[in-house]
Amino acid sequence: MIIRIDEYSDVPIYMQIRNQIVMGISSGELKGGEQLPTVRALALEIGINTMTVSKTYQLLKSEGYIMTDRKNGARVRENIAQSGEMSEENKTELKRIVSEARLSGVSKTELKKLIDEFY
Amino acid sequence: MTWLVNLILAICIIPSALIMFFIGFPKEPEKRKMIFGVRDNPKFHEGDAAKRVKEIAGECRKGALMITVFICVATVILVFLPSTTITSLAIMLLVFALFLIAIPFGKGNTELKSLKKELGITKSGTVYADLKNTNVVHGLKMPLLILPNALILLESVFAMLVDFGVIRITETLAIEKYSLTMMSLSFLFIGVIIVPVAYLMDNMRNTVISKDSNINANYSRAKKKCWADLFIAMSWTNALAVAVLMVLYMLIYNDIAVLAGVLAYTLVLMVIVLIVAKDQIAIEKRYARDTELELLDDDDCWILGMFYYNPNDTRLNVEKRFGVGGTVNIAHPAGKVIMIIIAILLIGSIGFIIWAAVTGNLDMTSINTPF
Repeated sequence: MIIRIDEYSDVPIYMQIRNQIVMGISSGELKGGEQLPTVRALALEIGINTMTVSKTYQLLKSEGYIMTDRKNGARVRENIAQSGEMSEENKTELKRIVSEARLSGVSKTELKKLIDEFY
Repeated sequence: MTWLVNLILAICIIPSALIMFFIGFPKEPEKRKMIFGVRDNPKFHEGDAAKRVKEIAGECRKGALMITVFICVATVILVFLPSTTITSLAIMLLVFALFLIAIPFGKGNTELKSLKKELGITKSGTVYADLKNTNVVHGLKMPLLILPNALILLESVFAMLVDFGVIRITETLAIEKYSLTMMSLSFLFIGVIIVPVAYLMDNMRNTVISKDSNINANYSRAKKKCWADLFIAMSWTNALAVAVLMVLYMLIYNDIAVLAGVLAYTLVLMVIVLIVAKDQIAIEKRYARDTELELLDDDDCWILGMFYYNPNDTRLNVEKRFGVGGTVNIAHPAGKVIMIIIAILLIGSIGFIIWAAVTGNLDMTSINTPF
């Protein structure tokens, strides 16, 4: 899986990595049980501080997407807990996206089509 | 005898100048990924910009050609002039004059960066990382590198034992005391530098050129293998050179033979570098059609296209944009130390040669010769 980091984005780098790993798990690019690179290796690959990658992994772990242990490093969780609900944060983000789409003249059908495509 | 040393230096200088010229200034630089250390851009191939790029490349190539021809002609003339301290000094300084070939490269780099600004090519700060290839793509087999250097270590120990009289090869060793030790330790020192550099190059960040992880892995592996081969070949050449030079020193003892050995060693190294450069170009050509991702635009971090200074990059080593191999990130603390050491060694060498010439220590007429 290829991770794309935009150095000039307003989104912090640790969040960009987190978002793309989550998208990778969702799309199936990263399968359950799949090994993730070590903190040091990923930091070297992107050319960032190890603390940044460590922060990403901590976040992903706390959100239940990955598991880490000393022996095997970081792995994608086989069974990700499904609450069946969207977080308040995501709801707000979705609301913003829908609002912007409406203001841009994107129809509801078009938006639903996009959601179907990405889901 | 000085004439022979000058001839050997000349035989080293001329191919080096030609290698630098042909690697740094290709006939059609617009077909390469990098043009004078500036990443190629689709806008460079459109209308007036394409013409301008051709002009810049042509001017710089012409400049580099003039410097190369000057160095080669001056070297040949100096070899055929009567051997004096002045000619020896001049020919030794011509070794350092090889760096002048990099001047047109720096000029081309600066002009292309200006052209980028004129064309409004905005700096993109995109970095790609392939999760599947991190820390798994390598080309270096460490034992193959360690073995020749361990051999040099053994040879150095043997040389010391001979020099200190513990082992007696011939009744009277006709060479100056500690010559063997100095020679073998010099090669050992090179090995001590080669091993960590090879390790660093092998652990360098992988280049992501495609969305296909296999292509990225193969591309990075091919490049790393190329560097690994270079360092391994250099190490084996060094190990062999120490053995041959020791035999020449101890058994055949003849200055001409030793100097011929040094010359052969230098030529072998040059051939190795040429082969690696050729392989690198072949890899770039092979993967040019697979390159689909726009790589990070860090041209501004490359001072004159040769020195990498990027405080936002935590890496110590990066791939060179002029020549073959890697260079250090000067913004890295270790990179600063390495660059200071290189600068001291370079200035020190020039200073030493001039000092030796002024004090008359550059006279090599005392070297043992059968003539």
